[in-house]
Amino acid sequence: MHILLIDNNDSFTRNLEHLLVSAIKGAEVVVEPYTRLPQLDLTAADLIVVSPGPGTPAEYPGYERVFESGKPVLGICLGMQIMNEHHGGETGRLPGCVHGKTDEIDWLGEQQTVARYHSLCVTKVGDGLEVMARNDQDVVMCLGSRDHRAIGYQFHPESFLTSNGGRFIRDAIAYLDLQ
Amino acid sequence: MTQLRISISSSREQFDAFAARLAQELDADMVLSSPGYPAETTSVVGVHPEQELLFTEQTTPEAVKHFCFDTPGVALGYVSYTYGMLLRGIASDKPNNFPLGHLKKYRGWVEYNAEQGATVISAADQSMLDDLADRLNTALGSAPMLPVKGLPKGAPVVSLDQAGYEAGVSETLERILSGHTYQLNLSTKFSWNCPDLDPLALLLVLRRDHPAPFYAWMQSGQHRVLSTSPERFIRVSDGHVLSQPIKGTLRVDKHTPEAEAQLVNSPKERAELSMIVDLIRNDISANCEYGSVEVRNHLSVFAVDTLLQMYSDVHGKLRAGRDCLDLFFDAFPGGSITGCPKLSSMTIIEELEPHSRGLYCGSMVVIRDERNMDSSIAIRTAVHDTDSGAFDLYAGSGIVVDSDPAKEYQETMAKAEKFLTLGDA
Repeated sequence: MHILLIDNNDSFTRNLEHLLVSAIKGAEVVVEPYTRLPQLDLTAADLIVVSPGPGTPAEYPGYERVFESGKPVLGICLGMQIMNEHHGGETGRLPGCVHGKTDEIDWLGEQQTVARYHSLCVTKVGDGLEVMARNDQDVVMCLGSRDHRAIGYQFHPESFLTSNGGRFIRDAIAYLDLQ
Repeated sequence: MTQLRISISSSREQFDAFAARLAQELDADMVLSSPGYPAETTSVVGVHPEQELLFTEQTTPEAVKHFCFDTPGVALGYVSYTYGMLLRGIASDKPNNFPLGHLKKYRGWVEYNAEQGATVISAADQSMLDDLADRLNTALGSAPMLPVKGLPKGAPVVSLDQAGYEAGVSETLERILSGHTYQLNLSTKFSWNCPDLDPLALLLVLRRDHPAPFYAWMQSGQHRVLSTSPERFIRVSDGHVLSQPIKGTLRVDKHTPEAEAQLVNSPKERAELSMIVDLIRNDISANCEYGSVEVRNHLSVFAVDTLLQMYSDVHGKLRAGRDCLDLFFDAFPGGSITGCPKLSSMTIIEELEPHSRGLYCGSMVVIRDERNMDSSIAIRTAVHDTDSGAFDLYAGSGIVVDSDPAKEYQETMAKAEKFLTLGDA
């Protein structure tokens, strides 16, 4: 599987690259910086991954071509927020912002320990997106759309603090009908 | 170049006296470790430099590789934080009279591995080998350490005083809430005028009284580097990569299980370290084999000076076709002294700190070959300018969302304490 990983100037992108390679058999990952987004050839990618990063979705214009490319998309943290805003959703400050800490979420009927790094959160869910997970404080932890073949995680499956990061990648692959 | 080599059984005291003598008599440069620390390393002393690389804005990592790898022998020196800013594309118009980096290769060098209790002397010719061996054999009888001349006295000039530092912490907290950084290391600079300071004697006395795993001494033009760092940046041993980020600090009078538990159980301190561990995993991953990067000994603690410090071991395996300097420069400067995400945090640091960091938060490095290297994070580090008499010291702390400005200032002062109290002795 050819995976294009777009790096929003983040410091966890290579962790995500390593996780994708370990979780998806035969994955080949190409990492490209956000600054090259307008020139990127999206046609060869079987999956496009939008990385975490600092700042707000508004600071990262140009992702329309990714979400309108017809390619399956996985967004992590900021990547999920960018996906949400593309569909008309909104982002705001997270009360009690959380970095470098774990949380427990109900994921497909099981409790999972996940790592959180976010100052911002989804305050309005975009049109046509389903909320697939929230935490105890009702913060959106996963959003997706089978119609648009897009899924996003607010938490960080690539963190060493997430107990079973590979599972979230494999579940995303299944949701995106890429198996 | 032919290298002659001899191994001589030595006690640590004998090696220490020998190293001091080489610095005093032969202007040696040194990376000196102390035993018993998680970041303990092989001590290396270089004498009779024969090649030097003084970094400029035009010096590329490729040029550094040529300098280090085209000829055999260890390269020893420093790479400044300011050079790291150039690597990461962060502009600065602050005055900086400190070199961007300086590496030397030597006609003779000495290594001491405390575990093996042996001093290994390498030299370009037999007479140098004999001379160094003679100096080692007579080192224990050499002159005792004299009182240090010209120590800094009185209050230093600071780049950020308490009010300024706490305002910087408050601004950092706002940047965290806006999502532009998760953690940011904010520092202040202390400056004294000490024209009569004997900086080598000071370094040796500090090492005797305040041992740490990564002491270093280097002559760089008119500058004298005094590094007393407790922190390893990256070691590469036959391709095995180890980084040991430190985050989480507790000032204590005594290292007790209760104090250690207080540090380890603090949600704020745990989060500080976890963030940087994820960052270090990222920074070594670009040059490590898939699946090889792993965290061990997370939330471990050691004591240095009057501080308990928390750390973790991040391991990896260098990819085939990559060398230790690919790894070093891709990961530089170390995440524990930038914050996370690195690029955004470095940009904010440049905005909030009124001083140029220079060597501080860069690295002291020993590079042996393509797959063997060790390097520190150059914290607890001072520089003496022998021309102007300026003695500059820096200290800082990691700011996270739970930080209290006053406590962060106190932590910063605790890290500078062994230097701040020198003139009181």
